[in-house]
Amino acid sequence: MLWTYLITGAIALVVLLILFRMVWRVAEPNEALIISGLGAHSSAEQINETLGFKIVVGRGTAVLPGFQTVRRLPLDIRATPLTVTCVSSQGIPLHIKGVTAYKVGDDYGSIANAARRFLEQSDEQVMSTIHELFAGHLRAIVGSTTVEEMLHDRETLTTNIRGSLAGDMEKLGLVVDSLQIQEIDDESGYIKNLGRPQAAAVEAAARIAWAERDREATEREQVAGAAKAAAVRQSSIAQAGYQAEVDQANSKASQSGPLAEALARQQVVVAETETAKLNAALAEKQLESSVLKPADAEAYKQRTLANAARDAQIASAEANAREVTLRGEAQARATELNGKAEALAVQAKAMAEAAGIKARAEALATNTDAVVAQQLAEAYPEIVRAAASSFEKVGNMVVLNGAQGIEDTLVKTITMGGSGFALAKQLIDSLSTNGKPPTLEAVPDEAPRP
Amino acid sequence: MVGKRGRVIGRVGPGIVGEVMLPVRGATEAFYAYPAADEVIEVGTPVVVVEFDPPRSVYVARAI
Repeated sequence: MLWTYLITGAIALVVLLILFRMVWRVAEPNEALIISGLGAHSSAEQINETLGFKIVVGRGTAVLPGFQTVRRLPLDIRATPLTVTCVSSQGIPLHIKGVTAYKVGDDYGSIANAARRFLEQSDEQVMSTIHELFAGHLRAIVGSTTVEEMLHDRETLTTNIRGSLAGDMEKLGLVVDSLQIQEIDDESGYIKNLGRPQAAAVEAAARIAWAERDREATEREQVAGAAKAAAVRQSSIAQAGYQAEVDQANSKASQSGPLAEALARQQVVVAETETAKLNAALAEKQLESSVLKPADAEAYKQRTLANAARDAQIASAEANAREVTLRGEAQARATELNGKAEALAVQAKAMAEAAGIKARAEALATNTDAVVAQQLAEAYPEIVRAAASSFEKVGNMVVLNGAQGIEDTLVKTITMGGSGFALAKQLIDSLSTNGKPPTLEAVPDEAPRP
Repeated sequence: MVGKRGRVIGRVGPGIVGEVMLPVRGATEAFYAYPAADEVIEVGTPVVVVEFDPPRSVYVARAI
């Protein structure tokens, strides 16, 4: 039982859903639902005046089948190409190609206007109508505009388009999103001639620039060509030089065999020469070590020995000489001292004698006779002895006259002594009379004389 | 509509039809515009709607 209720309920729910699905219509964002029929009146908040139909945008609504009809009015954009033959304000015939993009306005007034005019019409009919409409307005716009304005002053063009289209677009409930003039052609060549001075100026400038650049390019080309020729010349010279070097190297290589042989031979000769030199040096060294070195050693030995002997002799002689010198010096010193002592002795003796003589002379001067007598008396024994000595050699004396004879002889001798005395006295007198004291030399010479 | 602020995209002035962009219903739409006073409002000037003439015409004055 429960199952039956449940199944019945489910079926009823499904039926209700199907019915709801049949009744409920939803407007897409790019479309408006135009509902007319029983009870389909626009609400007061949608529009001031009541419409004979209901407009639904962006939501769903229930539509009673059989009592109400629903139409969908697309709100998306549409584009219509325009091809218009018209005349500008200057009377110049123009072919204008453009495109216009338009759509139904989003407000209820525009949707209502559009629904009344375009609902149930095919796209071709709409596009044809719009094309005619825009073409007529475009003619009017172009007819009130000069070509120059159309070409240069886009603001004026759009302003004119807006002013011309505004009323009609409001009537149709359409909004012009874009109106583009793509192409403006004229059969008379006005536009072409319009731009001709500028084009000519541009072309002249271009030709001048081209000529300038061509000249510069030609100059650069010539310079480059000259540089290229120089480079080619340099390259040729360098190539010739390298070729010459290669030839030289080849010829050298071809001569390298004999040359190497000669060099090898030369090296052999050099090596042999070196060997001979080494042999000679070896012999020299051998001779040197066997003969020269011993001889040198011997000579050195002899020389050393001779030097030693000579040095010994020199030392000995020097020692002798030193000894002799010292001895001589000692002797000379002794002799000198002896001499000095003797001289001092002689001097002292002489001075003593001189003092004695002086005293005697003084005495002689004062008392000559006494002195003479005293002297004579002192020397008398001597005198007698001297007189007697003359008889000493007489071995056999013959005295004549007997004893008288001897006496006479003695008397004579003594008398002679007395005469001597008188003579001395006389001499001293003569001296004293001359006022001179008797000399020391004179007295001793006279005094001892018998 | 009255009191909405927008921006001139086609010169508004006496004797010509201008155009302004206005935020409407969650989007922006172009409306034909006429000056509220006898003045010329250049492109880019912010404006305020002082009068609405359905469906697509407004009278605008300079904002601020």
